[in-house]
This record gives sequence, C-alpha cells and structure tokens, in this order.
Amino acid sequence: MATGPSLIGHRPLFEKSNIELTNSLRTTFASAKSIIQTRSKHQVDGLSSLSAPANTTGTTHPWTSTSASTLSIPSSPFTASPLTEERSSYDITVKLFFLPSAHADAQSRTAHAQEALRLVLDILEAPRIDLLIVSFPGISFDADDDPDSETPESMPPLKRTLTAEDRLVDSVTQTWHSIEELHSKGLVSALGVAEFGSERLERFLPLTKIRPSVDQINVRDCCVVPKTLILYAKDQGIQLLTHNDCTDILPRGTVREILEDVFRDDDAAATAWLQNDITPQWVVKYTAVVRDRGVIENKGYFAMAEVHSI
Amino acid sequence: MQTDGTLALNDYRALGTPLAWPEAKTKAAQVRTWGIEQLLMIWSRARSKERDALLWGDEVEYLVVALDDEHQKVRLSLRQADILLALAEDEELQANGGCVPDLQNISREYKLPIFHPEFGRFMLESTPGKPWGIGFKDLLKVEPDMRLRRVIAKDHMNANEYPITLTTFPRLGTKDDFICPYYPPSGDKLRSQFVPDEIANPHIRFPTLAANIRSRRGRKVEINVPIFKDKNTAIPWKDPTVDYDLHNWPEDDDVRNGAAKDNFVYMDAMAFGMGSCCLQITFQAKNIREGRTLYDQLSPLGPILLALTAATPIYKGFLVDTDVRWNQISRAVDDRTAEELGEKPLIEDRWRIPKSRYASNSTYIAQDPRLRKEYLDPELVIDEDVKQKLMDGGMDDLLATHFAHLFIRDPIVIFEEDLKTLDLTKTDHFENLQSTNWQHMRFKPPPPNNDIGWRVEFRSMEIQITDFENAAFSVFIVLITRAILSYDLNFYIPVTRTTENMETAHNRDAVLQDKFYFRKDPFPKMERKMDGVSPDTSSPIPASRPSTPSGPIEDEYELMTIDEIVNGKSGGFPGLIPLVENYLNSVNIDIETRCELARYLELIRKRASGEFWTAARWMRHFVRTHSAYNLDSVVPEQICYDLVKAAEKITSEQGKCFGVGREMFKSTKAR
Repeated sequence: MATGPSLIGHRPLFEKSNIELTNSLRTTFASAKSIIQTRSKHQVDGLSSLSAPANTTGTTHPWTSTSASTLSIPSSPFTASPLTEERSSYDITVKLFFLPSAHADAQSRTAHAQEALRLVLDILEAPRIDLLIVSFPGISFDADDDPDSETPESMPPLKRTLTAEDRLVDSVTQTWHSIEELHSKGLVSALGVAEFGSERLERFLPLTKIRPSVDQINVRDCCVVPKTLILYAKDQGIQLLTHNDCTDILPRGTVREILEDVFRDDDAAATAWLQNDITPQWVVKYTAVVRDRGVIENKGYFAMAEVHSI
Repeated sequence: MQTDGTLALNDYRALGTPLAWPEAKTKAAQVRTWGIEQLLMIWSRARSKERDALLWGDEVEYLVVALDDEHQKVRLSLRQADILLALAEDEELQANGGCVPDLQNISREYKLPIFHPEFGRFMLESTPGKPWGIGFKDLLKVEPDMRLRRVIAKDHMNANEYPITLTTFPRLGTKDDFICPYYPPSGDKLRSQFVPDEIANPHIRFPTLAANIRSRRGRKVEINVPIFKDKNTAIPWKDPTVDYDLHNWPEDDDVRNGAAKDNFVYMDAMAFGMGSCCLQITFQAKNIREGRTLYDQLSPLGPILLALTAATPIYKGFLVDTDVRWNQISRAVDDRTAEELGEKPLIEDRWRIPKSRYASNSTYIAQDPRLRKEYLDPELVIDEDVKQKLMDGGMDDLLATHFAHLFIRDPIVIFEEDLKTLDLTKTDHFENLQSTNWQHMRFKPPPPNNDIGWRVEFRSMEIQITDFENAAFSVFIVLITRAILSYDLNFYIPVTRTTENMETAHNRDAVLQDKFYFRKDPFPKMERKMDGVSPDTSSPIPASRPSTPSGPIEDEYELMTIDEIVNGKSGGFPGLIPLVENYLNSVNIDIETRCELARYLELIRKRASGEFWTAARWMRHFVRTHSAYNLDSVVPEQICYDLVKAAEKITSEQGKCFGVGREMFKSTKAR
C-alpha cells in the first residue's frame, strides 16, 4: 500500500500524469527514507510503536507504518499539508482512478472511494472538496467514439457491443451510487466522470440520482471533440473539461518496480513480501487552486495497492 | 488598471507651469526627498495588503496613419488630440445611452476600453475598460476586446486614417512630408533636424520632457542604428539625410562634432524612440511578497520575449541591421551628462551611470532564499542617503536598494505649483521618478485611494501587427506567471546576464541565430518540498530549511537558443511552453477555451522554432523583394505605402491570412 503526498516540483513536470505520478512516488519514498533515517530517535520510536507486523508484509521500516493489513509508505499520515487560506478561496478537484487490475465490485469500490477521499481531506485539512471526478477502467473516449472498432467479426456487432456496454454502464452506475453518497454527506460539492461520449452519457444520466456536472475529455482530442457531444453536454448542463491523464495511470509492473527500487538496500528476509502478488487498486489525484489567482497551491497523489501471498 | 508613464485623460487637461531645466535642476533634490516621503507613506500603508486577486491589464499602442491612395503615399496623422476628444465625447454619449453605431450592439455590462494619449502625436494607446481576471473565459475575451478597441478607434478617425500596430513608422524623420498636417522640422523644444516639435503630444508635459532631457544632457539625444548592408549599399555608408550645415540652434553643432557615425542611421530626437509602440502587461499580485517574486522571475524573460516579438527593422527610411526597438528608445531618452557617461571627469555630477533611464532593469527585489547575492549587480549605482532614509522608515535592504537605484535620476518635468506643499496623500513626486525610470520590469506600489494592490509590469515586448498575436503574447505571459507561482519556478540568473541578453536580442534574427543566458533547471530543490509543504508563496520559508544553494552560479545557467528556452531542450531546460501546458493540464479548463489557447501557444511555439516568421523578418523580406527596392537599404515611399497597406490587411485578417504576411502565421517549410 503506497501513499505519496504532494510533490509537484520535480521533473519531468510536463510528462503525462502517469510519469508524474511514478516520479512523485519515487521521490516521496526516497525523501521519506532519508528524512526519517536522519530524524530524531523520538520520532522513529513514535512510528515504530505503530507498526504491528502485518501478516502479509512483515516489514518494520521506520519510514513506513503498518496497521492491520495495510503498509503505508511513507508512514501515514505523512504530514498534513493544509490550505493556507480560507477554504472558500480554493477550488479543490479530486480525480479518482479505479485501476483496471482492481476489484470492480461495488463494495470494494465504495470502500476505495471513501478511503481515497478521506486521505485527501486529511492531508488538506479540508472539510469538503469541490469536484470529484471518477475515472473508470476500460472507458476511453476514443473507443466510445467508435464502438465497433473492438468487435470481433465473428460476433453480431450490435448485440456484442450493447451487451458489453450494458455491463459497463451497469457497473459504473453501481459504483456511482456510492459516489453519490459522498455527495449527500456533504464531502463533495459536485461530481464528474471522465471520457464519456454522448451515447454513454445518454444511457448513464437517467440512472443517476445526482448527475455528473463535468465530463473530462483527454486534451489530446480536445480540438476534435464531436459536435454531438458538445451539443449534448451543453444541453444537459454538463461542462466538458480537459485532462491529460492515462486511464491506466499506475500499471502493476510500475508499482513493483518502484517498490523494488526503494527497498533495494534491504536484506532479503525483510523484503520477502515483495515476491508476493502486488495489485494496484486505485490512484487519487488532488489539486487545490486558488480560485481568483489561478495558482495551484497544492497538488499530489495517493495510490493503493494490495499485496497477496502467492 | 491604471498605467503609469502615460497620462490619463483628466491629467491631459490639467495644466501647470513646468520648470525649464536649469531651474528644474535646482528643485530636483526637493522632489526626490518628497518622493521618498510619499513612498514611505505608501509602503507603510500597503506593505501588509493581502490576498488581492490576480487582475491584469494589457496596453496596446497604435500609430495613426493617413493613407493617400491616389498618390500611393502614407503619412503619420497628427490628429491624436482630435481623435481622443471624439472618443471622450462618445464615452459621454454612451453613458447617456447613445453612441457610435458599432457600440450600440454591445451589452451594457461591457465597459468601454480606455484610450490614452502617448508621447507621439501620431500615437494612441488603449487599455481594456476594466482589468482582466484569471477566469479562463476571461482570457478568451482579450482578443475580441483588442479588436473592438481598434474598431472604436477607427470609428473616430477620418475615413483615410487607420490605427496600425507597427512598432515604428518606417519613414519617420525623412526629408519628405511624412506627417499630416505638415510642419517643418527644427523647433525650439526638440531642436531636431528631422522632426518638428509638433511631432510630440502638445500637452506641455511632453515637450518639456523632451527639452529638459536635451538640456540636462547638454546636447541632443543621439541614436545611431547600424545600417543593414545590402548588395548595393555603399560602404562606408553615410546617412544621406543628415544636414551638416544647419545653424538654427546650438545643438546643430552635434553632427559637426561627430554625433552621426559612418554605417549608422542617425536620429536626434525623443520622438524616434518614444514614438515606438509596445505591448505591455501589468499584473496585480496577491501581496507585496508575490509581487516581488514576479518582478524577479519575469525579469530574465524580458530579453527572450523581446527577441521573440521582434518587429522593428526599419528606421527613417532605411533597413537597419537590428530587429527591435529597445535601444533606440533607450538612447532617445538618455539624459545622462558627459560626466555621468564617463566622457568627462566627475565634477558637477554625483556618479557615473552605466545605463540610460530607459534600460533593462538592474535589481532583484524578492525576499527569496533562492536569490543568491551573486545574482545582483556588483556595480549597481544607488543613492546611499535615499537608501538610509527608506531603511530608517522600515523598508528592508533589498527594496530600499531598488528605489535608491531608481532615485539616482533627476526628475525631468517639475510643475512649479506642485512644490508649494508636500501632500502625503498623493504620490506625484514619487511617481515623477518612478515613471520616468523606464526599465523592462516595473514594480508598482498600490496607488492611493482605491483598492488596487501591488503590481508588476512586463514592458519589453514589441507590438505585433494583429490583435491575435497581441492577445497571444499577453495571455502567454499571464499563463507563465501562473506556472511560476504554481510550481515555484526559479529563473534566476545574474542580472547582468539579462542586460547582456537584452543587447543580444537586438541582433538581426536573434530569435533564430543567437543564444541567450538562461537558467538550466527552474525547479525547486527537493528539500524544499520534502515535508509535503505546498508551493505557497505567502508563507515565509522556515529558516530551518536549507536555503543556501551551493555550487558556482556559472553552472546554473547556459547559453540557449530561443527555441530551447520556449520549447525545451532535451536533457536541459524544460521549455516555457511545456511548463505552461503542464499548468493547463493541472487546472480545470473547458474544451473550447483550451482549443483557443492552443492557437496562441502554437503561434509562440512556432515563432520560437522559426517555423513562423517574426514581423521583423517578414518586413525585411517584404522590402527586399519589393520591385521598388534597389538592394541599397533604402525604403522609399512606395514601399512604405505598400508595407503599411499590407500591415492593415494582415490586421484585418487576424492571423488567418494566406496572402501577404502568411509567413508569420503559416508554416513556410512546405513552400
């Protein structure tokens, strides 16, 4: 399980967000390691006391913390990074990526969404966020734009597409209901989706209690967004925003690579758990922008992966 | 946003008795002293002003030309006062519910743009009716607003007059009748052998400014621009328009004493510089700390944007070998005496001064641990007494040094009426010095009696032919400031390197041919963020954090092309455009806005890479491929007429042209 607080100031800044995230995690880990190792004994003790060895990981690194079956890297909460002005000066946007390798059942996703949002609210010390955008795996605007492209020739195209689309919308809707709850609780002011085409929106909207007010489309395509989507969104009062994120922002292999790199200097026994199956579940990105100055004051990521014995 | 250095229309009517130089000189110390007292008053009142929004404004300057299609001739129109009067009357009309036809369809919430007089009587300046914000939709309003300003201006001109945005009039100061109405040269105020006194705005402030600069200097200003050596240009080239036999004024001796140089176009009046059009952007900062940071961080970008907006290849009817206006303005208002210039031993004057009042800036002012003392100018001239007074008044060393540097100058225009009592609720004496220090960055304290905050003005850019380009560069600079603040970017290089860069920017085609000193790594050092601390600029950086960067400063920067600075260098500087793109990727921005902004960023990216031409390159090409050009550097009336006509056409096509001028907006590689 990995959490990486805000780090935006290192290169390459201008890569896609998956690279930004990966580098952010690497740097956070590295600096956490060096900070804790050189910090006062008192703090190290404080952290150690938290680390009841977890059955799957069994690590007691002073710069990580473990509780139940969760290993937090760095120890969580690392340091709160609160907003410096009143809450009302900011636009806080949070984007939650449900990863392709993750559990897709509604229960897991509900838990993931709650956990992700809690971490963000904690680090920003904010009572609520303005916009929560949810990115679902397997949805990308390109494919939606051209629904027949992935259909094997052997299948009757229409039937196959509808079924897959039905399943997808069904799964999305189930998750959406738990997202709606975050809204009802007052933790989130507005909701959004990413990469929805007009057809999918049309199916999805009637199934929602709280409609998305935002649909985020990859910036790469922003100048060739189909007229139908633009008109439909306008008609439905949905704002089309741009982004530059990958759908699979944190692939399995990347997590392993980062972890192996971080624990490289440790002895084999302590890092035996690295041999286990590591499955990234979700990533959350948060951005706090001072509204009337357009300054990004705070940006960061958290990510969560599960470790299973093979 | 109020602009300094130009007059608001109200001031225009306020008259006083300006002191001629010998007398003004005796009052200089009093004005400085009172100016410092006013500054301390502003400082104590506004130093803790906080949390102001980003508001920003652009200033666009125009030449007013009169086309004579019948004779294929273009002249500068000197009807500025009439045009401004017509505009002012119309403003009253609009307030009462009626106005010119073009304005009747504009919504009532829209605030009419504001027009201002400028030094040149052939110039106009316009600013938006109210400042812009950072709402991304606001950014899209800039270009239509600029277009509308042009329409409004045109509506108040004669049918044959046009507001054009060339930096300079190509044939200002030639022997023919380049102005209408026509006045012969050689008047008492300017004493120029090329332009009449009537070329300057008749408001008494302007002729006095010109006369007192000349008088303080002890001779006319001297502007020499290297001639562009074409195939048939005789070398050594002697400016054929210089008259060595004039005997109207003592200053007519200047040319007999060697003021005009071989191989240079010679000019002798403030109008040749201050008659140039620029594109200036002013930002309101959140507080004084942020303002000081922006002042420092934008400073190294000054020369880069100057080279990138290059648009000035012609003076006084000749192609010159430089591409930008900057040094010509600098020399046109250079009031330094022979002693201050180092030509004579210091007897009367207090110090040698290495730069004109109009020059690249020489100070950094941010209270920022990244500001290493090695970046400061070791030769900086300051008035120690002024600095002491400011520090006694509670100002910190850096900022006191900055103002003590500006206050080494004399006030040029002093009105007798203003010297009776010191009014500490006003800022007139402070502004007298502040606004006649024309450096490429200006740090502007809040004016009294309203809610405006600390501001920073970015002053180096050349005006572009179309409003599309002017909007693009304005918006680009705004986005860079947002990226600087969001990512805590560090562009510091030694300030003297910026001065060198400013010189380099003058070279013909510097945008493609030259290299500029620029910082390699703009990103904060990791330690600064280790605790997960946000890049907030308001909270002081804790002293416990390692704040002293180490290593030789020479390793921090290197020579880069404009392309590398703008578009990035692999393994080196990431590029201004990629930084801006990253900023845009990190904020919520709607698709339509992003697409529009993409057009602007593409223009800048391709100007930097050379794929699109600068206006300077296009104009030089236009002249050199014109059938009336004899490859002898001379730009005759016919070419001037065709060039201005072409500029007018390009303006109306707003960057979408496929005809004349397309090289500035379309890729030239395919052709």
